[in-house]
Amino acid sequence: MNLLRDILDKQALDRKRVKIGKVDGLVAELRPGKPPRIVAAELGSITLARRLGTWPGRWVARLAAWLGGKRHGEPHRIAWKKVRDRGLDIEFDIDVRETSIFDWQDWLRDHVIGRIPGA
Amino acid sequence: MKKLLEISLGIVTSVGGFLEVGSMATAAQAGATFGFRLIWAVVLGTLCIIFLVEMAGRFAAVSHHTITDGIRERFGFKVFLWPLLAALLVNFLVMSAEIGGVSISLELATGIGFQWWALPVALLAWLMLWKGTFGFIEKGVSILGLVTLCFVVGAVMLKPDWKAVAAGAVPTLPTHDAANYWFMAVSILGASISPYLFMFYSSGAIEDKWDKSYLGVNRAIAGLGMTFGGTISVGVLIVSALVLATHGIVQVDDYHQLPLMLIPIFGFWGFILFTASLAIACFGAAIEVGLQQAYLVAQGFGWTWGEDLKPREDPGFSAVYTVSLFLAAIPIMLGLDPLRLTIFSMALTAASLPLTVVPFLLLLNDKRYVGEHGNGVVSNAAVIFIIALGFVLAVVTIPLQIFGGT
Repeated sequence: MNLLRDILDKQALDRKRVKIGKVDGLVAELRPGKPPRIVAAELGSITLARRLGTWPGRWVARLAAWLGGKRHGEPHRIAWKKVRDRGLDIEFDIDVRETSIFDWQDWLRDHVIGRIPGA
Repeated sequence: MKKLLEISLGIVTSVGGFLEVGSMATAAQAGATFGFRLIWAVVLGTLCIIFLVEMAGRFAAVSHHTITDGIRERFGFKVFLWPLLAALLVNFLVMSAEIGGVSISLELATGIGFQWWALPVALLAWLMLWKGTFGFIEKGVSILGLVTLCFVVGAVMLKPDWKAVAAGAVPTLPTHDAANYWFMAVSILGASISPYLFMFYSSGAIEDKWDKSYLGVNRAIAGLGMTFGGTISVGVLIVSALVLATHGIVQVDDYHQLPLMLIPIFGFWGFILFTASLAIACFGAAIEVGLQQAYLVAQGFGWTWGEDLKPREDPGFSAVYTVSLFLAAIPIMLGLDPLRLTIFSMALTAASLPLTVVPFLLLLNDKRYVGEHGNGVVSNAAVIFIIALGFVLAVVTIPLQIFGGT
């Protein structure tokens, strides 16, 4: 399998097949004397910004922490053993509601969108 | 039987969705200034959009990806950023121009200045997206959009010299105003080959759950629908060439000159038909472009999306079209001339096409996505040739238009 080709930037789903984002990054563990091993997938704007460069990464992390509190200062990380399906989309064996991935969408719904009549 | 119904519905959709402020304004300008001589640009543009729409539907039906998903996944986030930003910017300008088009038609109908209409128009368009479903929007826009067929009826009633019309379909060098001629050719190409149109079409194919059994339907819709759409544009051009020029208007630089087009043919009804066509075509396009902005962002970042969901089920998606629509109303509220904005955004669309179309073409030639349903040599060559022509002409003529003072 070609990780960068087959996993990175694919649609990510949770176990209920809710669209939770894209696989924005992959985390590899370097092991002495052995090939590196993928240990986690990362989702979110911080990971994306890091792909653009050190500075964008730092600034977006700072912005995210400022907006969402300290736990949003790091990218969302999902352990590699949670990967279930590698078909069209990548499915993770998690429930998105138990993570902080949708915090900003929840905030948007509760404070803005949900307050507009007819939502 | 069901397929036949789908094909006819799809064609109606494309006819209704094809004509928008860009194709109307550019065709009217070209007709007034250059007679039938720029018909070839409409023909080339239509040919290109036929290929692109067919590819968009085929890609969605075979790979179950929208174009946006495909580009992000295949080329990675860094490459994806370029078409994303280009499309967001061009869509913003086009949406603004469409809101301007509806506002102008309301000014024509009521006498109240167009700036005042921008916000109510954006609000109404937003309400359609907020409450409507995909099917409702698609069908509503298309059925009302059929009023634009009045331009084709008008063109036939004027009994043009069909030999001259056919001659216009063959590209010729300009005899006067060369810079203006090429700039108009670019604007026409940009107006016909709207990236939002084929990207929207691929999202629609996913919303309607297309699979390989739809490939024939797709081919029929793309071919016939876009041909009909192009025919309406040619209709506008013919009417403009025959009516405006004979009434001494050889340069359209104000929307207020345009209602005259249909009056000699239909009398007062001509005024109503023109105003209604402009309003409906632009309003439909504004809704579609607004929706496309939300599709683009939501699909690009993997959010939950779908026009059939309630806004509270996809808050990110609904926030994008809400913000986009109201932002797009601002330039018109500030009194920016809708006609100039339209022409400029069409030319810019032509210039931006390589950014969106090239990655898309590569996907359509990638066996991992489309398997045996990849592109043939003809469609690849035709699209590359037309896009390259539009790009080169745009890069040469846009600076001339801005700095040359023509």
